[in-house]
Amino acid sequence: MLVQVLTQLAVVVTVMILIGVAVFVGRYRLRDTRREWRDRVLAALPVTLVLVIVLATNSAARQDVPDLSWIIDWNATWAIYDIEGEFVLWLQSYATPEATAFFSFIYIYGYIFLLAFPVIAYFALSNTRPLRELLAAYTLNYVFGLVLYTFIIAYGPRNMMPDVVALMYDTYPRYQSLTRQVNRNTNVFPSLHTSLAATVSFLAYRTRAVYPKWAAVAIFLGICVAISTMYLGIHWAIDVIAGIGLAYVSVTLATLLVGRWSLADSIDTDRLRAAIRRR
Amino acid sequence: MTAGESDRDVGGPSRRSLLATTGALIATTSGCIRQTRSIVNRDGLDQLSLTITTLPADGDRESIQLARELETVLETVGIDVSIEMRSHEEFLRAVLINHDFDICVGTHPGGTDPDYLYETLHSRFADESGWQNPFGYTNLQVDELLERQRTVDPDQRDDAVAELLDAFAVEQPFVPICAPDEHRLVRTDRFDGWGEGHPATRLGYLDLEPADGVDRLRAVNTDARISENANPLMAEYRDQDPFVDLLYDSLATEHDGDIEPWVAEDWTWDDGTLTVTLRDDCRFHDGEPLRADDVEFTYRFLADTSLGASETPAPSPQYRGLVSAIDDVSADDDHQLTFTATTNEPVAERALTVPILPEHVWESRSEPASVPGVQIAQGTTEAVVTDNWPPIGSGPFRFDERGERDFVTLARFEDHVSLRPEVDLPEPTVDSFRVQIDPRSTSAIENVETDAADVTTRPLETYVIDDIEERDETQVLESPSWTFYTLGFNTRIAPFSNPRFRQAIAALVDRAWLVEEVFDGYASPIAMPVPAAWTPEDLAWDGDDPTTPFLGTDGDVDVDAARSAFEDAGFRYDSDGELRVRQ
Repeated sequence: MLVQVLTQLAVVVTVMILIGVAVFVGRYRLRDTRREWRDRVLAALPVTLVLVIVLATNSAARQDVPDLSWIIDWNATWAIYDIEGEFVLWLQSYATPEATAFFSFIYIYGYIFLLAFPVIAYFALSNTRPLRELLAAYTLNYVFGLVLYTFIIAYGPRNMMPDVVALMYDTYPRYQSLTRQVNRNTNVFPSLHTSLAATVSFLAYRTRAVYPKWAAVAIFLGICVAISTMYLGIHWAIDVIAGIGLAYVSVTLATLLVGRWSLADSIDTDRLRAAIRRR
Repeated sequence: MTAGESDRDVGGPSRRSLLATTGALIATTSGCIRQTRSIVNRDGLDQLSLTITTLPADGDRESIQLARELETVLETVGIDVSIEMRSHEEFLRAVLINHDFDICVGTHPGGTDPDYLYETLHSRFADESGWQNPFGYTNLQVDELLERQRTVDPDQRDDAVAELLDAFAVEQPFVPICAPDEHRLVRTDRFDGWGEGHPATRLGYLDLEPADGVDRLRAVNTDARISENANPLMAEYRDQDPFVDLLYDSLATEHDGDIEPWVAEDWTWDDGTLTVTLRDDCRFHDGEPLRADDVEFTYRFLADTSLGASETPAPSPQYRGLVSAIDDVSADDDHQLTFTATTNEPVAERALTVPILPEHVWESRSEPASVPGVQIAQGTTEAVVTDNWPPIGSGPFRFDERGERDFVTLARFEDHVSLRPEVDLPEPTVDSFRVQIDPRSTSAIENVETDAADVTTRPLETYVIDDIEERDETQVLESPSWTFYTLGFNTRIAPFSNPRFRQAIAALVDRAWLVEEVFDGYASPIAMPVPAAWTPEDLAWDGDDPTTPFLGTDGDVDVDAARSAFEDAGFRYDSDGELRVRQ
């Protein structure tokens, strides 16, 4: 079942990206990219490596994080529930089958498209700075997210209030096998779905001069992802707010860091470039 | 842990010292200071503030719902309530091992025989960790009744149990809520013979008749713990699951309430002595022979996992009550053992159902567990903390491989006694048994419906049962249940130590309404924690609890009646309607 779900995911997201490239990026940027891709790869290489290392560590650590969290034993679920009450339940009272289908699609496909597409869109720009900022911001999101997940145990609304329907999992049980590989149920604070989506939205707004249409789409999708996490009963409103906060911090820090150290410059890029040309 | 405690610790002394200082300034004579002291040094009563410890919906959808309904009810009678959700193993660790809770809501494994109450309630177990007296209940009269039912002549046991239950009804050491109906979904096109043995035990998976060409049994299990830990002694990871049973043999096995021979060929009872004969040439999965010495070791080890090396015994957190029925075991030769029992025959026979542990694997686990630089609790032996991979037993299936939180595969143990032509026992009929972990009932059902699994090993959550479509090739299997949902008090701390308080709480639980509301009707409300056959008529559920009927209707508490109940029990309300108690 997992293989089937993954294949479907890959196909749908690829189609979405191809459409996105055609609509937002355009022929001329692609032509330039074919000429300049080596330089751009080199410029983005250091931060990409850092991101890959963080992701690898993250997925390895995720196995042990729950055990560590239970040793620390800071359980925040009741505090969250005490503050926001049954907001998610209220949100779900407006559920319709169409909305459930829409938000389930957004939560899985829309989210992955939202994260993957800007990597390609920014790669298609001669100025590599947006790309490097984006990758740095992703990295920071994962780092801070992992730290927060380690220290804070919080169960999502569907675990506290089973009357909150786990809409997606009950309507489309096959997605359970997909998200089970990624998520542990004690890791809901903050919403990493929201923070990564908001990161893309923030950066898309900043690059609105280059990609005006994409900025509008990214902000719309970002908002939909944030709502979907609550609508589907996966996150509390407080998780979403914390996720937006995390995104803001990550984007700000990423801007500072990318401006300060240009790792690519400190490497002897000429020699590397020559090595690549020789191939 | 309790909020009330910390409030007092923080607020009390500072307020007291402040007043005392002011008092000292005003008071000029010593008599006045003495009176000030008398006034100031009296602790006030705070609002009762308690935490309900329970499981999140992913672990147990019904428990959190019960806890939330209970929260609502307790709030209306002036108690400040918070809920703490813990994962399965952390819930059991908090309640059973560390006794770190006020009130807990969850399932109790119960038992087909009322003797499990001895383990659950006897005061001699109040300080131990495990399923033995997790509630810290102590009452000498109840102790006596618990002992009586396991020592009287079997003919008089009914009466002894009835007397014990009378005391239970008054004392309410814990409040049994309901016994859920067990439903599982099975595929009938690949296997026949479902339900011959109870699917929560080994017998549910033996003697199944596979269709032609089927050599693999595929189960889907909604609880990931079996892929994380295979230690039969660890209460945190064990539940009512058949896997320990399939990996580890026992001398006898329970079938429809009877204790029948398993690895033991037979036994004789003679005035407090059980003489047990083992079957010939039994082996463990690693090829070592299973000798009478291993059996003797098992009983010694379960009684004290430190094997006498620790200053105080370190008994196993599981099987404590069963093993306590045996005073002494000795291996007479390779095939024969003599058990000296402290109980009557029916209780002593049950002691034969514990898993047989290989001495050569477990003996070294009597050492104290250690983590560098950390002080470890006394009595923590390696045996009660090891993950036990690979599990080496002598059962009909042996461990093959696993993926954590993903799957566990077992393979048929070709040397198992049941596979010998001369032995007539239910046997493993497939080469391999794969258990897929899938945390939700809905996806477990989809697995069976799409022919990715043959059986859901754990009972399905009640909210999905109405939605299951029966098809030609699938069938919903209903099985009797002896587990039950319960509200447990930590009777070590006030006010839960007060039976009057517990009675008042018990009267706030509308079991009939909860069964409809939370279990969609797929459960039976119960007043007593033992199977119906053991419940005397005057204590049985008769539409309401015969001793502590619900104070209200349809889940709504009659607040005035509830308040009076607490006031009659000696507790006080303040003008805001808050229940004030000394904690």
